[in-house]
Amino acid sequence: MVEDRRKASIRLNALQFVIAALFSLLAVSFWTLQVVQHAKYEEMAENNHQRTLALRAPRGLVFDREGRVLVENRNSFSISIDREHTKDLSRTIRILSQVLGVDEAGVRTIVERHRREPTYRPIAIIQDASLAQVAAVAARKLDFELPDVVVQRVPTRRYPETMAAHLFGYVGEVSETQIAENSELKSGDITGQFGLEKVYNSYLMGEDGARRVVVNSVGREIRTLEEEQPTEGKRLQLTIDYDIQKAIEDAFKVAADDGLSNAGAAVVLDPRNGEVLGFTSRPAFDPNAFAGGIDRQTWASLNTDDLRPLQDRAIQGRYSPGSTFKMAVALAGLEEGIITPDFRVSCPGHANFYGRVFHCWTDRRGGHGSVDLRRAIAESCDVYFYTVANMVGIDKINKWATALGLGVMSGIDLPNEVQGLVPSTQWKLEKQHEKWYAGETISVGIGQGQVSVTPVSMAVYMATLANGGTRVTPHLLKQIDDGTGWKAVPPPPPKQKIVIDPAKLEAIRDGMWQVVNGTGLITGATAKIAGHDVAGKTGSSQVISAQGRAAAANKTARNLRDNGWFVFFAPKEDPRIAGVVFLEHGIHGGNAARVTHHILDTFFAKEDHRPLPPPPTTADMHWDFKDADR
Amino acid sequence: MFERRLYHHIDWALVAAMFALCAIGVVMIYSTTSDPTRGTSHLWVTQLYAIGLGILAMLVTMTLDYRTFTDKSHFIYIAILVVLVYVLFFGMVQMGARRWIPLKLFNLQPSEFAKIAVALVLAKFYGENRGAPQTSDLAIGAGLTLLPLALIAKEPDLGTAVTLIPVFLAIAYLAGMRMRILGIVFLAIVLAAPVAWTFVLKPYQKSRISTFLDPSQDAKGAGYQQIQARITVGSGGLSGKGFRKGTQGQLRFLPVAHNDFIFSVLSEEQGFAGVLVALGLYLFVILRALEAARLAKDRLGSYLVLGVLASFSFQVIYNITMSAGLAPVKGLTLPLMSYGGSSMIATLAGFGLVLNVRMRRFTN
Repeated sequence: MVEDRRKASIRLNALQFVIAALFSLLAVSFWTLQVVQHAKYEEMAENNHQRTLALRAPRGLVFDREGRVLVENRNSFSISIDREHTKDLSRTIRILSQVLGVDEAGVRTIVERHRREPTYRPIAIIQDASLAQVAAVAARKLDFELPDVVVQRVPTRRYPETMAAHLFGYVGEVSETQIAENSELKSGDITGQFGLEKVYNSYLMGEDGARRVVVNSVGREIRTLEEEQPTEGKRLQLTIDYDIQKAIEDAFKVAADDGLSNAGAAVVLDPRNGEVLGFTSRPAFDPNAFAGGIDRQTWASLNTDDLRPLQDRAIQGRYSPGSTFKMAVALAGLEEGIITPDFRVSCPGHANFYGRVFHCWTDRRGGHGSVDLRRAIAESCDVYFYTVANMVGIDKINKWATALGLGVMSGIDLPNEVQGLVPSTQWKLEKQHEKWYAGETISVGIGQGQVSVTPVSMAVYMATLANGGTRVTPHLLKQIDDGTGWKAVPPPPPKQKIVIDPAKLEAIRDGMWQVVNGTGLITGATAKIAGHDVAGKTGSSQVISAQGRAAAANKTARNLRDNGWFVFFAPKEDPRIAGVVFLEHGIHGGNAARVTHHILDTFFAKEDHRPLPPPPTTADMHWDFKDADR
Repeated sequence: MFERRLYHHIDWALVAAMFALCAIGVVMIYSTTSDPTRGTSHLWVTQLYAIGLGILAMLVTMTLDYRTFTDKSHFIYIAILVVLVYVLFFGMVQMGARRWIPLKLFNLQPSEFAKIAVALVLAKFYGENRGAPQTSDLAIGAGLTLLPLALIAKEPDLGTAVTLIPVFLAIAYLAGMRMRILGIVFLAIVLAAPVAWTFVLKPYQKSRISTFLDPSQDAKGAGYQQIQARITVGSGGLSGKGFRKGTQGQLRFLPVAHNDFIFSVLSEEQGFAGVLVALGLYLFVILRALEAARLAKDRLGSYLVLGVLASFSFQVIYNITMSAGLAPVKGLTLPLMSYGGSSMIATLAGFGLVLNVRMRRFTN
């Protein structure tokens, strides 16, 4: 009995020690977790219940030169997956795509693309959700079914009027390449992808804010800890004049509606400083379609459309200038001292150079007869310019055409401008490893052959002739407001200044004035504005040779029509507007002059403080559909 | 029956420590369940009722001589078996388990009372024997334990079932079971483990074990509670986040915070300081009860105390280890603190017996 008690007492003592040891072990464990590793677990607890939501900054508004809104923002809803609170990503994707009524594979692709990013950064599935989608997600969230899906109100780009699509450009989710190139961009950002939105993205983008919220275990927001308001992007004022822009768009619309031409471009400048007053490329796209993430179908149709609506014809299209090139040839002849304004050529309707016959557009009427420089421009005499070109030579033509802005980049503040071409002996040697043949110069004299120009360079060409030799740099940005008031942006310096003998220039201008206001076989009378001295020049360029025309019989008639040009400045003395209208397959320069008429009519109506002309109608335009020789 | 002088032998220190733990429990239940944004919950009031009933049960188990209970232990044991069988067939199903008999105020969980019954019956069985228990005695004791254990495991409630094992082991140990046998049992378990791993365990059971060893393997699934428990405890720090300021418990990252994980919540809100106080109180309660076992007038008494204490200590240590994310998550409550009526009443009733043994150490 006593022995038993003693034994039991020893065993109880042993138990006591075991218990005490276990409790000491527990105390040490808690010490390790709570004191030694406290910082680590505290951070984990914070991450658990705090969530940082990015507040997207609205992009800066864009105004026209008179302060009218061109590009603004609207509120939309984005729907994204916050993987930090996802238990089963696959399940979330499945349910979410059902709820949203979108293709599950598409959602998976989006998630896959962002997979390697930190989990706290939500993956936007829909940028611009419909109210029905928002309601459907909200209902599921109430059931705790989608705790990891976030619906956020975000500002989205809005282009109130369908105009100048290529000028404004569009925005879209930043690509991986863009992130690699610019450290300020992060995945999921919306950045400019085209046009001004792209070029001035750093001004327009603004700085995202953030909101730190407390969420519970099912992702419901409990309260806001702190909120950092987003900084709106800088506001930009453009040189664009809404009225001029609208006039251009309206006139092009009539040309398209009437079946004359559904493609083309126009660039209108202030020749004194290079400010762009109006700018279009047709056909256009709707930049609004990109703002909330473009759907695959729309994107595919934009890319496969034969008319290539995504191409900015004003700065990327290269076309033969046709007769509009004649002033460059004239200037070369005059300034090189090879001809004078009174130099005369007799035009029988055709002429023979280097054993080949070259025709004038008046050949069937028997030619112009004897013409001087002014009349040669006014009536667009081809024989005259064949002759002058032959006398001047290709390299001097190249020199003066370049000085006027042709065959070189204009330097406009838009992305991906392409360069036109005015050939030279050196160019041919370098590119084609061949000697230039004098016979090739003849066609160049009337803007055919190897010459190709972009519409924007034609606008610069006109501005240079209008201002007396300053090759201005076309530009779109006038002022910036970073929140502290408007500050003027210094205009880019001119590319080149040449000295032109005013008397010689005046002869060219006289000829251009006569194109619109003269008598005889003039071609630009449709651009005439009563009470204002408009100077201009038509041009038509063949799209296809006579032989090719037969071969391409299966093509539609419209695709075989000549392109129509009209270049202009006004008023002749002290020009304040200069530019170009180009109608792809527009048949005649005269049709482009009709479009120009509406633009100039609007411009002068503003200057004269009379009511703006109403949008033109088919009846106003009197399109010339006759497939005449010039 | 209850002599007035016995009153002076009540271990007031033990009583005070127990009720201090109960009070901490009620406060933590209040903290985790009364979310003002979701309407007030009265779980803490229910817990107070349970404590009240527990005190009544404790008075009953204190007042009658513990030998009265051990004498009737076979009836109590059989009654509990009957109730456990009843539960298996007619019990209320909650969360996939048939464990409860619905009563008006709360649901009665008979398995909690099975611990006392087993402690009583084993105390009596070994208390009547002289000398170290023979193999046959051990087999009978094991059988008496395994019968209710199997019934409870069938509910299924593996956690509570397992708490019966320490009751048997502790009493057999104190009764003089040879250490060699204990050693053999442990050795057998160690040797069986790799065999069981290869042939017996099902894939989900394996994954549960490997998840315990490395919770981050499956941070959103099985490892979730364990990681959350560690975060909860670790983020509490030295002095805690403050009453009702614990983000983990309050925002429900931690499941069943008022129940199985109440100690985690205490760690989060009161920090290491609070942990030390609670650990100290539990250690005091256990050591004080061991003292009662040592002082007991007869073997029967010390076996009874140790039987009651064994399941209590096992649960306390396991639950606290689990609430720090250091043991696999099993549905085991923390006696005296966790929310739950049956557990509270059974625990207090059990400690009534402990007090009973101690205060009758001088009587005949």
